[in-house]
Amino acid sequence: MPEDLDPVIHAPARLRVVASLAALGRGDEVAFPKLRKLLDMTAGNLSTHLRKLEDAGYVRVTKTHEGRTPATYLALTETGRTAFADYQAALMELLNGAQS
Amino acid sequence: MTMATDPTRRPEPAEGPGTFAEPGHPADGAGLDPAETLRLIRQQQEAARDATEPDGRLLFGAWGLAWVIGYLAMWTTARETGSPAPWAGWVFACCIAGATTFTIVHSITRTAGTRGTSARVGALYGWTWFLAFTALGVVLGAMGNAGASPEVMAIAANGFACVIVGLMYIAGGLLFEENRMALVGGWMLVAAVLAAFAGMPTTYLVMAVAGGGGFLVMVAVEQVLRARRRSEGGVRRA
Repeated sequence: MPEDLDPVIHAPARLRVVASLAALGRGDEVAFPKLRKLLDMTAGNLSTHLRKLEDAGYVRVTKTHEGRTPATYLALTETGRTAFADYQAALMELLNGAQS
Repeated sequence: MTMATDPTRRPEPAEGPGTFAEPGHPADGAGLDPAETLRLIRQQQEAARDATEPDGRLLFGAWGLAWVIGYLAMWTTARETGSPAPWAGWVFACCIAGATTFTIVHSITRTAGTRGTSARVGALYGWTWFLAFTALGVVLGAMGNAGASPEVMAIAANGFACVIVGLMYIAGGLLFEENRMALVGGWMLVAAVLAAFAGMPTTYLVMAVAGGGGFLVMVAVEQVLRARRRSEGGVRRA
């Protein structure tokens, strides 16, 4: 059922963010510049999407310092992993429904 | 309009539930059907892994070439004169140093900008390689001082090196949940036994073919698995 697709994840840009973070191991984080480069998004655009994902409880944002340079690390929360798994399951269901 | 902070709350119509290009809902996932969306996820995850994890094909390839070239140089010259020529020893040393440098640079480049469990485990794993071979070098030195013959030294050096590689690959397979890596480790232990009983200078040939060849076979295996993953319709390792 299309109504079951999570709107927070379903937007293409956020889907790419979530898919990338889900590819990291549990307990791993990626630095903001590295994620930005991987997704080829502008910093502002990525920040906006990350805020929406953070508000939904899907992404954990950790601000820290490396020496004197501020650094931001991103990771998917357990809620985010579950939501992404559910989203993919819903997609598979749609796909199988369309084929049968 | 505020974004829903409670995931269970029904979203506002404008940010409405995800649909696939239905009339009135052009914004979300427009033009993408479920199959395309799944493909997008798979591609993105592949790209993310490429950006954050070392490429097994490159690492296996570097070590395969180093072992094949290095040990073949040792074998061909030892076959003629009974012991490897000094230049062959240098070729071997340069091959190992080159593969080591490549592994370190490639791994650090790929994992830069990530932190957490994998980074900690990876660093510890890398240092363990270094410590194991340093310890091996010291033990071999002590054996030489104690009067071990060149033949005993050659068997010990090759055999113990193979055992370390085998155990480290099995450990890596367990740590990174890569069964293929553990399989290579098991094969390296077999190669250690074969090389030890082959007798000089055939030991070097066994190291080149079974050891180096084993790594190169893994390059092909990794390539096939990667191509298969690309062409698959579903999503793996989600």
